[in-house]
Amino acid sequence: MEILRSIYEVAGFIVLIALGVGALEAYFYYHFRYYDRPWFFPVALAAFPIGALVAASAIAGSYEFSLWFYFLLAEALIAAAFRYVVKGRHTVPYLLLAPAFVGLALLLVYPFAFEVYLSFHDLKLNTIMMWKNTGRIPFAGLSQYVKVFTTSPLSEVTFWALLGRTLLWTFSNVFFHVLGGFALALLLNNAIRFKGAYRTLLVIPWAMPQVVAVLAMRGEFHSQNGFVNIAITKLLAAFPFLASLGVAPVQWLSDYPLLTCTIVNIWLGIPFMMVVILGGLQSISSSYYDAADIDGASYLQKLRFITVPLIKPVLMPAVTLGTVWTFNNINVIYLVTGQAGGTEQADILVSALYKAAFTYNRYSYSAAFAIVVFALLFFISVTYLHGFDAAKEER
Amino acid sequence: MASVQFNGIVKKFKDNLVLNGVDVDIKDHEFVVIVGPSGCGKTTLLRMLAGLEEITGGEILIDGLRVNELHPSKRQIAMVFQDYALYPHMTVEQNMSFALRLRKTDKAEIDARVGEAASILQLQPFLQRMPKQLSGGQRQRVAIGRAIVRKPKVFLFDEPLSNLDAKLREEMRVEIAKLYQRLNATIIYVTHDQVEAMTLAGRIVIMNKGIVQQVGSPIEVYRKPANLFVAGFIGSPTMNLLSGKLSLQGEDLFFSNGDIRISIPPYLLHDAKKHDGREVTVGVRPDDVLVGRTGEKCSDKVEGVLEVCELLGHRENLYIKAGNTRLLATVEAFFDRSPGAAVSLCFNYKNMHVFDKATEKRISE
Repeated sequence: MEILRSIYEVAGFIVLIALGVGALEAYFYYHFRYYDRPWFFPVALAAFPIGALVAASAIAGSYEFSLWFYFLLAEALIAAAFRYVVKGRHTVPYLLLAPAFVGLALLLVYPFAFEVYLSFHDLKLNTIMMWKNTGRIPFAGLSQYVKVFTTSPLSEVTFWALLGRTLLWTFSNVFFHVLGGFALALLLNNAIRFKGAYRTLLVIPWAMPQVVAVLAMRGEFHSQNGFVNIAITKLLAAFPFLASLGVAPVQWLSDYPLLTCTIVNIWLGIPFMMVVILGGLQSISSSYYDAADIDGASYLQKLRFITVPLIKPVLMPAVTLGTVWTFNNINVIYLVTGQAGGTEQADILVSALYKAAFTYNRYSYSAAFAIVVFALLFFISVTYLHGFDAAKEER
Repeated sequence: MASVQFNGIVKKFKDNLVLNGVDVDIKDHEFVVIVGPSGCGKTTLLRMLAGLEEITGGEILIDGLRVNELHPSKRQIAMVFQDYALYPHMTVEQNMSFALRLRKTDKAEIDARVGEAASILQLQPFLQRMPKQLSGGQRQRVAIGRAIVRKPKVFLFDEPLSNLDAKLREEMRVEIAKLYQRLNATIIYVTHDQVEAMTLAGRIVIMNKGIVQQVGSPIEVYRKPANLFVAGFIGSPTMNLLSGKLSLQGEDLFFSNGDIRISIPPYLLHDAKKHDGREVTVGVRPDDVLVGRTGEKCSDKVEGVLEVCELLGHRENLYIKAGNTRLLATVEAFFDRSPGAAVSLCFNYKNMHVFDKATEKRISE
C-alpha cells in the first residue's frame, strides 16, 4: 500500500507539472496567436490577473486582493510587449522555451532577487518570528554590507583574513591541479600499455560522489589510524635517521586543517584538469611536433613553444571553471574540518558564509556576504574571460 | 647541396610491411618526384629520410654519410608538410625563424635570411601576420620559406599542393618549378598526382605496394613504362589495356582478345616465334587510338560503336565499344558523330606497349 501511495503521489506531481506547463503554453499561445485582435487587451486584462490570483491564493492558502493589482500591471506590460514588440514572431521557438525559461526564473532569478532583498533588511534569529507573524523584516539599508567588512562572520576570523585565505587556497589548488593534470596528461598521451586502465583509475576520484571521496580521504588523515601517519611511522621505523630531520606523525586534522583540505582537494581536482588537458593534447596535430623535430627543438622546447601555447585555448576555460569551483568549494572544507562548529582555521569565504547563515542564523548578514562573494567571483571570471578573449584574438 | 641514397630500405609497422627493399640514388641538384597511389609507402620513405620514422632495415646516406641514427635536425634537411604544419600561435616571421632561433643564430643573420626567403617568395607584406590570416597559397609559401631559411642540403616536399584548389595548385606548381631553378637544390617531392610528377620532375620514382616500380625521366616512364602498373598510372587519360593472346600466322604475330585482332609489328616484338601463344596485355594510350581519319595507313581496322563523347575544348574523349572491349580515344575537337554511330579505328603501332600477363613486365621494345 505504501508503494501504491508513493506512485500515486509521484503521478499526481507529474500531472500537476503537466497542468502547469499546459497553462503556461496556453497563456503564451494566446499572446502569440491573438496579439492583433481588437479584443486582445480587454480579454487578457480581464482573464489572466484573476486566474493568477486564484492560482496564487490556492497555492498560498490565503487570499490577498492587492496581489491582483500587481498581476494586472504585469499582464498589461506583457500584453503590450507581445502586441508591439514580439508581434507573433518566432511562436514555436518561444513556446518551446517557455517552460524552461519560467523554471529558471523560479529557481534562479527569484532566489537571487530575494537574496538581494534580504541583504538590505535585517533577518536574524531575533527577527525571524516577526517575519513569520507579520511578513515584515526591519529595513537595514547598507548596514549589512558594512558589517560584512567590519565584523567576523564566525567568532574570530575577519572577512579580510578569510579573503586572503580563500585567495591562497584557490591559487594553490588551481596551480597544483594544472601542474598535476598536465604531468599526468603528458604521461597518458604517450603510447603506453594499459593506457585505458590508468586513465580510468585516475578519473575515479572525480567520478565518485564528492562526499564519499572526501570522507574516505579524511579517514586517511586520522592521527592514529590514517594511512598517512601509519606510513610515516613505518618509514621512521625503517629509516631512523629521518627522525633527526624532523619527520614525525602529524595531527593533520587539528594542527593543519587547511593544509589537509588543500591536499584532499588537489587530489580531487587533478582528474578534471587531466581529462581536459589530455583532450587538448590529443587535438594537437602531430605534424607540429614533426616540424619542430626537424627545426631541432628539444623535448622541453617542444613543450614550451608548442604544447603549452596550443593547449591554452582549452586550458583557459578549464582554469576559469576550476577557479570558480575552488573558490566556492564548501564541500571539502566542511566535510574535512568537522561539519558543525569545528575549527575556524580552515574556513574560506563560502564555508564561513554557510556557517554564518546556518550555524549562527544571521540570514541577512549572510545574504549581503553572499552578494559580496558573488561580486568577487564575477570580477575574477570576467577578468579571466577577457584575458582569454585577448589570447584568442592574437592567434 | 647533396646527394641522397636509399639502400635496401625496409619499413615494417608491426607485421605490416610498408617498404620492401627500396633502392634509389638521388644525385646532387636533382629534382626527384616520388609518385604512387595512396598507401604505397612514398610518404613513409620521405619521413624516414627526414628522421621522423624509424628505419627497420637498410640505410640512408646523405652526401655519403649514413644518417640512420642521426636526429632529424642534424640531417640538414628541411621538410614542407602536406598540412604546412605552421605553428598557429606564431607570426609568419616567427615561424620562419623558429629553427634559427632554437640554434641561437645571430639576430642580424636571422633577419637577413628571413628577409631573403621572404623576398624570394614575395612574403614581405605578411611577415607580421598569423598563419590563420593567410590564404592556402600564402601558407604554402610560408612553409616553403621556413624550409629555405634553414639552407638545408635537401628539400623534402610531402604532397605540398594537395590541400590547394585546382587553380592555385597549377600556380604553385609553376612557383615550385621556378624556385627549383633559383635554388638549384636537391629536392625530393612526394605526390600522388602524376601531373605534378610529370611536370616538375627531373626524374620520377614510381612506387607501388612498397616497391619501386620504375625510376626514370618523365619522358622515359611515359614512353617506356616498365610494367603494367606504371603504364596504367602515368598518363592522363589512362592507357587502354587489352588482355589477350599472341598467335603466329606464317611469319607475322597477331594479338587477339576475341573482339580485336591486330598484328604486332616486328619492331615491337622481335623473334615472333618465341612469343607464339603467349598471354599478354597490350597497352595503347588514348592519343594513339586513331579514329576515322581518312588516308591513314592502317592495316587492321577495328570496328566499334561510339558510346559517349566528352568535349574538353581542343580535345575530345571518345568512349568506344568494340564487341565487349571498351576503348578510350582522344582526338582533335570536333569529332562530329553522335553516340551510337559506328566508328572504325586503328592503333598507332609505334607507341604500343606489350606486357607479359603473368609477370606484368614490359616485353616490347
